[in-house]
Amino acid sequence: MIEHLAPQLVNGLVLGAFYAIVALGLSLIMNLTGTINMAHGSFMTLAGYLAYTMVLRGTSFWFALLAAPLIAVLVGVLVERTLVRPLYAREPFYSLLMTFGLSLMAEEVYRLIWGSNGVPFSPPAALDGTANLGFMVFPAFRIFIAAVLVVAIVALALFLTRTRFGLRLRAAVQDTEMIAALGTNTQLLYAVNFGLGIFLAGIAGVLAAGMLGLSPTSGNALLMPAFVTVIIGGMGSLFGSIVGGVLIGLAISLTTLFVPAASEVSMYVLMALVLMIRPRGLFGEEGLFG
Amino acid sequence: MSARGTTIASMVVLVVLAAAPFLSPLVHLDVSIVSEVLVTAIAAMSVNLLLGYTGLPAFGNAAYFGLGAYGAALSAKYFHVSFLLAILIGTAAALLGGLLLGPFLLRRRGIYFGLLSIAFGQVFYFIAYRYTDVTGGEDGMNFPRPPLGLPFANVTVNETAFYYVALAAFVLALLAFRAIVASPFGRTLVAIRQNEVRVRYLGLNSDRFIFVALLISATMAGVGGALFALLINFAYPLELDWHQSGYFVLMMILGGAGTVWGPLLGSAIFVIGKDIISTITPLWQIFLGALFVACVLGFPRGIVGTFSAVLRRRAHVADVDDANAAFDPHAPVEVGRGV
Repeated sequence: MIEHLAPQLVNGLVLGAFYAIVALGLSLIMNLTGTINMAHGSFMTLAGYLAYTMVLRGTSFWFALLAAPLIAVLVGVLVERTLVRPLYAREPFYSLLMTFGLSLMAEEVYRLIWGSNGVPFSPPAALDGTANLGFMVFPAFRIFIAAVLVVAIVALALFLTRTRFGLRLRAAVQDTEMIAALGTNTQLLYAVNFGLGIFLAGIAGVLAAGMLGLSPTSGNALLMPAFVTVIIGGMGSLFGSIVGGVLIGLAISLTTLFVPAASEVSMYVLMALVLMIRPRGLFGEEGLFG
Repeated sequence: MSARGTTIASMVVLVVLAAAPFLSPLVHLDVSIVSEVLVTAIAAMSVNLLLGYTGLPAFGNAAYFGLGAYGAALSAKYFHVSFLLAILIGTAAALLGGLLLGPFLLRRRGIYFGLLSIAFGQVFYFIAYRYTDVTGGEDGMNFPRPPLGLPFANVTVNETAFYYVALAAFVLALLAFRAIVASPFGRTLVAIRQNEVRVRYLGLNSDRFIFVALLISATMAGVGGALFALLINFAYPLELDWHQSGYFVLMMILGGAGTVWGPLLGSAIFVIGKDIISTITPLWQIFLGALFVACVLGFPRGIVGTFSAVLRRRAHVADVDDANAAFDPHAPVEVGRGV
């Protein structure tokens, strides 16, 4: 049993990084505009399929890893400007419903283009082997995934804290009216922020396609754990999303080892426990989002 | 619409519903489809109480619906209980689900409540999905429809008989719903939607009111779910899924949030639309998604809500902003009128 523990723990961390990055994208969008983006999983799937098609057409995996999320961002910003934007002035629940409708349509469109069944999307040969971590051997692709996700998270943190634009974004989360009065183009902030969230989803989508498989519903399967991540970490807290993701990843991988049938339920048990002790999540602030 | 006009319209609807098994063959509609309309309307009504009246984004009612379905299905399959007892057991299961989740959901409001509803609702989905030995897992479970179970009429329930049971349940639910929203309790729910802080200052424990509303909603959804399982003689995990919750919300908003008849109308459009479109094209889901988008962007007040707003405007009654119909604290809700 114990020799299975270490790989399973590392697996849990990789899985947790996935949840964290999806949850980060969700949180970014949610914090600024109150929009719960139910189509977040659809954008992941979109990036996954785009990368799949690119690689199929002969481009390199590395190119696809960057280009596919960027195309997803273009689609995302287009959707934000045309469909989500009119809803900002209204109750947040409306944008949740609208994006839910979008995700239903997207799923069907993916089915039309790429078929109902999953398609094989394997990592490039360079990442095909295993890596010796000293105390265990582990698939190289998963190490790579973890590395990319960590880099993405650090880059996001730097962007938000070290650049003028990131500063404005965080200020807008606190008081959009004030920052608009000070002359910042808030519509630009909304669009870039949405795009940023989709970019994170896109990166996760391409990587997840290689690790967890790619089908019209594969992105949506990651959406629910991401919601739980946001709740555990606390709505409004980006740091919370990272911690929440890792906690859930570990919880799921450990229950997979000991009680496989309870692997999904475990994250909800964890969520219930956290909410019993801290009703607004681990790092959630009182007053945000009721 | 005047109170009398509304009463007449309601009577017409009820008469049409009572004659539906004889009318539906004329329009090539299966009786079971009309039964499904009524059954899902009960579930949409349960969302209406929380969302349309109390202003809580109830995006998890499929959990209670599915608990009702599985409660009925499991008891009918393994304990061979009667039709009516299966409904009762399903309803009790849903109520239990509400008692279990309520304390968690209560603590938050607004969009946070919605997120918690979605997340917690999924627990039951995964239990049904994973507990394959008993529930059949992903494939679902079928079971023969049990006999009615009245001591003087323990008959088998054919499609027409089922329809009348469903109609009876629907009318009961509708009357109960009307009584609830017209009662001081229901008024308090509307007051919570309009200004919860003020309700608390008046010395009312709004949490307690919301909890009771949630239990009523869960019970109602459970009745719908139990009937749904008995209608199709089948229970499957997707009944518990958050997508299903979304469909109920759509039905309610499509028909008209905060209106008594809205959920029935929304359910009719949804169920019959699905039935018709699915036979023409496999792309039902695209239509459904487009309906969501159109509904939210185009007519958030729903059909009944828009209709009555037009009538009100003609009667020179001050109108409110259309855009936030379901959640605008000052949007009108139907209280004590409607049937």
